[in-house]
Amino acid sequence: MSREELRERTIKIIRDCVPELADTEITEASVVNTDMGMDSMNFILVICKLEAEFGVKIPNKLWKKLSSLGDVLDALQKYGA
Amino acid sequence: MRFQTFFGMLGHWAAIDSDAPALIYEKDGEKRTESYAQLLAAVRDRAETLKVCAGRCEAILADGSRDCIVEVFAALKAGLSVALLDAAAPDETLREQLKACDTGLVWGDEDLCEELGFTALAQTDAKPGDVLFFTSGTTHRAKAVVLTEESLCSSAYNGGALLPLQPSDLLMCMLPLSHVFGFVCGLLWGLSCGACVALCRGVRHYLDDLATFRPTALSAVPLLLGFLVQHELLNPELKLVLVGAGDCPRPLLQRVKDRNIRVSFGYGLTETSSGLALSLGTDPMSMTVCPDDRIRIAEDGEILVDAPTCVMKGYYKDPEATKEAFTEDGWLRTGDLGRLDEEGKLTITGRKKDMLVFEDGTKLFLPEAEAELAALLPGLELALYQKDGKVWLAVAGDADEKDVKRKIVPWQDRQDRSHKIAGITLREDPLPRTATGKVRRWEL
Repeated sequence: MSREELRERTIKIIRDCVPELADTEITEASVVNTDMGMDSMNFILVICKLEAEFGVKIPNKLWKKLSSLGDVLDALQKYGA
Repeated sequence: MRFQTFFGMLGHWAAIDSDAPALIYEKDGEKRTESYAQLLAAVRDRAETLKVCAGRCEAILADGSRDCIVEVFAALKAGLSVALLDAAAPDETLREQLKACDTGLVWGDEDLCEELGFTALAQTDAKPGDVLFFTSGTTHRAKAVVLTEESLCSSAYNGGALLPLQPSDLLMCMLPLSHVFGFVCGLLWGLSCGACVALCRGVRHYLDDLATFRPTALSAVPLLLGFLVQHELLNPELKLVLVGAGDCPRPLLQRVKDRNIRVSFGYGLTETSSGLALSLGTDPMSMTVCPDDRIRIAEDGEILVDAPTCVMKGYYKDPEATKEAFTEDGWLRTGDLGRLDEEGKLTITGRKKDMLVFEDGTKLFLPEAEAELAALLPGLELALYQKDGKVWLAVAGDADEKDVKRKIVPWQDRQDRSHKIAGITLREDPLPRTATGKVRRWEL
């Protein structure tokens, strides 16, 4: 899967999980907490949905290192998406 | 039942019924049940190994697993003191905390220990049986609260006395054991009542743990409870929810009650080994003071606590902060404002301390955080405040939002997820202040 396709599908899942972000511009540089305003529970939900969608498992210890959307995409690609 | 040690707690229930289940958890993809007698034996065996380290402090990178619980109980049984750290905290926070508790013994995921590069050995000031919890939110200056096995057992007794669980109950443990609310109300509350405790399989299972384990009781912070309610994850067997460690919106409590689940709201501090008061009636904000605790309201409205069995020994290696935490006659200053009604029931009315409390139970201490930010934004007047549950930064003076955002990146990188600044407001006028110079945050 290309990076672009992965990014678009990921952004769609984020918007589905957090409807408040419907009108917010999301780029790879967007920081999950500050730019997206996502709380820790929504973050968990998004990562779980992404793992299910792409059939990958990001090790728990890496979750705390996921800061921007770019980090999330890197992790998804690293673990097989 | 009142216990003085965790080992004594397990031994009591194992003697009554050696087959009674103590823990349910998943390991290597299989669901396992461990009885009180088996858990007791595991703790005894591990304690034998740890005996050579008696008198030292062991830092435990708490991951909520069965092995983590055995390690905590065994270390204390073997005469060590224990510091419970959140394995999911940023590495920099963990390094700071490890340094602060003077430990050369670290238990946890091997890769994580290696990544932290922790090899130092030092002499601890903690005494055997001490349990150190880091106050949430102190990311820069690690400050540990020294509790003891006995104070934690007393706190669990307090909870069980007001909200008893039965051996047939199953308590779901979903909160981090490195937070005193999670340790006492997610684990010890169940074990002190002889109930079984189901261990959460990690955050990725928040969506299906309740459906898998089907607990009858749950302790949760408001953010977690809101998530479970929003996604309709509460299982039909659930009959009691204890929510605490942060302000909880009343509509959320009502939504849980509407499902015929009893909801109790708990108030407590790390410094009091968790619970001080619990709501037992229909009004979740009117709380009964726990049996071991006495509360009085100071002239300025601050809640003061006298609870010899539950109150901390002090802040680790910080006698000045410890002294400041108590009144001259020995009552603990909570930093919260409240009132007692004619029946002695406690209602929280506000916060005196300069700190923000989040729905996930963590706290951000403002003077410390603002001093760090001021160093990054010299010449600007600033203050942090809370809006819709998130942290906002108000900046007064000639500032550019993009420039401010760029300069605070190093601070943002060090924060827990819920403590990061979500928005910035720029003001041309100076920040509003009281006559004594304190920022009127409610006007920001």
